[in-house]
This record gives sequence, C-alpha cells and structure tokens, in this order.
Amino acid sequence: MNKIRLIPVIFIKNGFIVRSEKFIQHKKIGNVVNQIRRYNQWDVDELIFIDISREKFHDSMRTDHKIERVNSIDQILNSVSNECFMPLAFGGGIRDLETIKRYIKNGADKIIVNTLFFENPNIIEKAIEIYGSQAIVLSLDFKVEIKKLCFYSNNGKKKEKENFEDIIKRITNIGVGELLLNSIDKDGTGEGYDIEVIKMFVDSLPIPVTACGGAISYYDFEQVALIKNISGIAAGNLFHFTENAYPNSKRKLKEKKLNFR
Amino acid sequence: MNKPIIKYCKSCTTPISSAVPIELDNSGICSGCITASERSDINWERRKMLFENLIDDYKSNDNYYDCIIPVSGGKDSYWQIHKIKEYGLNPLLVTYHQNNYTETGMENLINMRDVFNSDHIFFTSSINAIKKMNRVCQRLMGDMNWHCHAGILTYPIRVAVEKNIPLIIWGEHGFMDLGGMHSYKDFVEFTYRFRLEHGLRGYEWFDIMEASRDYDDEIEERELIPYKYPTDEQIEKIGVRGVYLSNFFKWEANEHGPLMVKKYNFKESKDSFERTYRKMSNLDDMHENGIHDYMKWIKFGYGRATDHSTKDIRAGKMTRDQGIDEVLNRDHIKSKDLKRWLAYVGWTEDYFDAEADKFRDPKVWWIKGGRWFKSDIDGIERDYGKVHLNLSCTQNYYVEA
Repeated sequence: MNKIRLIPVIFIKNGFIVRSEKFIQHKKIGNVVNQIRRYNQWDVDELIFIDISREKFHDSMRTDHKIERVNSIDQILNSVSNECFMPLAFGGGIRDLETIKRYIKNGADKIIVNTLFFENPNIIEKAIEIYGSQAIVLSLDFKVEIKKLCFYSNNGKKKEKENFEDIIKRITNIGVGELLLNSIDKDGTGEGYDIEVIKMFVDSLPIPVTACGGAISYYDFEQVALIKNISGIAAGNLFHFTENAYPNSKRKLKEKKLNFR
Repeated sequence: MNKPIIKYCKSCTTPISSAVPIELDNSGICSGCITASERSDINWERRKMLFENLIDDYKSNDNYYDCIIPVSGGKDSYWQIHKIKEYGLNPLLVTYHQNNYTETGMENLINMRDVFNSDHIFFTSSINAIKKMNRVCQRLMGDMNWHCHAGILTYPIRVAVEKNIPLIIWGEHGFMDLGGMHSYKDFVEFTYRFRLEHGLRGYEWFDIMEASRDYDDEIEERELIPYKYPTDEQIEKIGVRGVYLSNFFKWEANEHGPLMVKKYNFKESKDSFERTYRKMSNLDDMHENGIHDYMKWIKFGYGRATDHSTKDIRAGKMTRDQGIDEVLNRDHIKSKDLKRWLAYVGWTEDYFDAEADKFRDPKVWWIKGGRWFKSDIDGIERDYGKVHLNLSCTQNYYVEA
C-alpha cells in the first residue's frame, strides 16, 4: 500500500499567503519565500500552491523587506521553484494551455485545474497529451447543500450543474491523474474534514485522492488517514499556526502507526 | 505609471498600504476590524478554562520557574504578570534592554520588579554593537530598531532553551490585533517564521553582519549572540512553546493602563508624544512613538496616530472622524527625538533624510516640483516636503507635471 502524503497547501492572493475561510474571508499571513524555506527544513512530502486572486495582480507591498517585492504570479512561481526542494503542484486561475506550459517550464511538477474542467476540458486533454496524466491534478471544490453534493468553479463562486455521477464519469473520461478535494463549507473552520464525501470519491475512483478543508489539529489528519486507499491529506491554514506544526503532526501520526510517508 | 491611490478601511483609519498585512473585504472593511469584531462572539469563559488546562501542564513540580514572560515594563507587561501571578505561577521575567527607555518607561520597569516580586533578567547588549545596528539597519531596511525586534523576539527564547523553561507567555499578537492576520479560531502561537518574516523583516543576524561589512560599519559575529535563534532541535528538545494571552482573555488595552495605575502605581508619560495622543503606550522606547514610527510614515504614508486611532475606533472609544483628525494632525510629524538619535549614532539630519527617502513606497508617494505628495485619508492631496533622493533614484515614482 502506498504511504499517505501530508501536504501543505499555500493559498496565494495578490502576492501574499492567505488564511482562507469558506473561500470568502482571507487574512494575509505573509511572504511565500520564508514559508517555503520552512517547508524545506521540515522536508515536506509535497507542496500545493493555488493562486486564488480575484483580480490577477500581485504585490507583496514592502519596500523594506529582505524578500524582494514581487509583482506577478510568474515571479512568485520562480522564487518558489528556486527555493523548493519538494514536488510542487501549482494552479489557480488557469484558462489556457500557454499558462500550463509556462508554469511547467518555470518549475511546477504538476498543474492544478478547476474551472477549466467545467468550462474548457479539451485544454486539460491537450495538456495530458503533452505532459501525461500524472502532471494534471483536478481540484474540486464542493459544498453539501440540503444533503446534496454540489460542485463549484471560479473560486467557489459559480455553481455547476453536474452531480456526483457526472463528475466521476468525466474525471475518468478526461483522464486526470489525481484529485484534490476541497470542502468550501469546512475551509478555514477547523471543524474537521468531510469524511463522508472524501470516502465517496476514494471508493469511486482509481486515481489518487487528496483531501483538504477543515483541519485544526493532527487528530483531524488521523480521521482521514483511516479512510482506506486515501492518497494524500492536505491542509492550508494549520501549518501556519504553531511552531513546527508539520514535523510534529507527522511524528504524532507515525507514533499512532498510521501509514504516513 | 499612474498617480498612486490609497484605499482605506471604511470603518477604521488604516490604509491598505499598511506595514501590517491587511485585506479589505467586498464592503471595504479591513481584516483587522473583522478579526476585532470576532471578539464579542467568543466564549471567553471557555477560553479561560482552556488556559487553566494549558498552564496545568507546565507548572513546575520542583519549585522552579513555571514560565517566561518577555516584558518591556509597559502597561501590557504589567497586565501579563498580573494575570500569571493570579494563577499562582512563578514567572521568570525577561527584558531585552533597547537602550532607548523614556524616563517614565524606566521608572515603570524598576517599579515592576518591586510590585510583582518576581525574578527578572534585564539583558543589555554592548552599547557599541547597538549603535552599529542602529545605523546599519536604518540603511538596510529603514528601521534603526531592528535590534529591538530581534532582541525581544529572540533573547527570551534563548533563555527558555538555556534554562529549560518551556512555556513563554506573550501578551497580544500585534499583527492579529491590528491587521487581523489570524482568526481567534486559530489559537495561533509564536513561530520562527512569524518572527523572521514580520518581526525581523526577513533579516537574520547574518544578514546584518553581511550588510555591516558592505556599509563599512562592521559588526562582528560575537556581537550578535543575543539575536541567534535556537535550532528546531533545541526548541523541540525542551518543547518550547509561546502562547498569546490575547487568545485566552479579552484583551482590552484601554483598560489595562488605568487598572495597572490603580493597582500597581504604573505611570503614564509625563510629557505627551508628538506622533500620538496616547500617553500610556510604547513608553519603553523613546523612538518607538517617535522617529522609528516616522519611518513608517516615510515608507507607507501613515503612522502611530493611525494605529492608535484604529484601535480606539474598534474599541468604541473614538469616532472615525475624530480618528481622521488625529491622523491628519500627527502622522506626518518629524518628532524631536530625532535629535537624540542623530547624536547617538553620529549622523546629520540631511544624511538621515536622504537615507529615509530610499524607502518611500512608489504606490503611496509621488513627486511634484521636487516635493513629495500623497493623497490622504480625507481624499485631499498634500505636499509633504522636499525630495532628498538623487535624480537617478526618482524614476520609480510617478512625477506630476
């Protein structure tokens, strides 16, 4: 059995790492580079970067900081890939093949797509033809509305009509290599992962599934790790909150004899 | 290049060009105001209980210190000690001496030792090294007080490791309080990344050493010992953990002052400050409300009157209009403590102005007729004095004909 990966997610908005809550509230945490250096020191399994800026401008705002002011997502990706020793999945706001090519050229190991899946899936297919399915991660943002599973695109703003069965069918047809599942309702709340929905996807898909949204302590990772065949557990905010949160979580999970990398 | 426009929070007086990361929501309210408003919905009784559980794990069994409290001797330090003593803990107080105390600030520090009956480490670096760091850091990052931030955010942690005292009690999380960096849900704790990124502006002791060579004002490694942070291994071996009291108790800075005056004879400043109307804040460092803060004005176009009015508006002590008056009257003032600082480090005022101008944010300032202009919180564009930069350095700025 493959070992479970524990994956920090960095949400970038207008040049800053942000703490996200329900996809609506964002609080600026700081600079990308200093955080990457910490992740290097902690030897993390993999990193996920998602640019969630509504307006596509980036500005780290400081004239007096050691880390040079950045003004574009490409500059951010460059500084990240210069620093980053671990596999890097990069995405957010991708609408064309050129961007995918550019991100891969600039150091992304995998590309994350979300809105494209609903609005222009043939671009994903083309990217898979060029780079292989292992290079493309589909990120699915979901909500549970009156017991019904609903999917959203465009930063969680646009509700899509597809139901669970449609989605499973399309994932299989398009042939994406990996799924990142993110719960909009749980995002930033610390209420724990949506175990039921994660299970549904893991049981219905042959590809690796990584779950995100809702963690407040390593205990929440433990709950997801108990899902048979789960491939990855991701968290955005948690690793910013306490010292050495990543290595300490890993250590505790291993002490529990859970199958982590 | 366009003429800079600065957005302000609609509720307080903070600009988006803030030194503290801040975010406006769709309705124009800043993340600081949103985080502050979380406080009224919090079950503080439950949090108090969580704190009591937390300190239970750290109480010493062999009559040793239970925790470290980093203190400057200000009203918030008093309140931290007051709270910890209420629980019967035996704290070790640790002060990094910035060598900039105001007269009242020093009286309060000495009084603190008397009234709280606690052991106290009052650490002072070599004054010569401090002076060099003042100059080097002013040139490198426009902040003479880097050593103060680095000292207070490193030295107590070194003491924790050296003396085997795992729990460090901080007061409020300043960036969370002012800019809303975190939610109260996060129970955020002290981290190395936060220290380096926000406390130290990304510069570690070795960066300062390197810069000092470039500037021909050499600081030796052996002068930088207090600013060397322990390794992750050292931290984890002891289990060092820094918690913020503001996550467990409703932090009312406006009430701490008067309470500490009454209970412990804390003194407010005899003289009023030029750059803020408050007389109980930042007494430990004469430049903190003065020329150090003036650099914030130079860089980002706002200052301490903005910070203090923002806090007081959120606390319901002041209206936004009153806040705007304070901001317009005070934020731009070049305070008199500059004289002391120049004499302290041996600089001229012209040299200071030219160095300072290098840090003006082109998204805040523009140039018209050889003078700096900025658009203020009331929407009016004002002239803020002569440009001291060389012509070659002015190309980053919008120039108005």
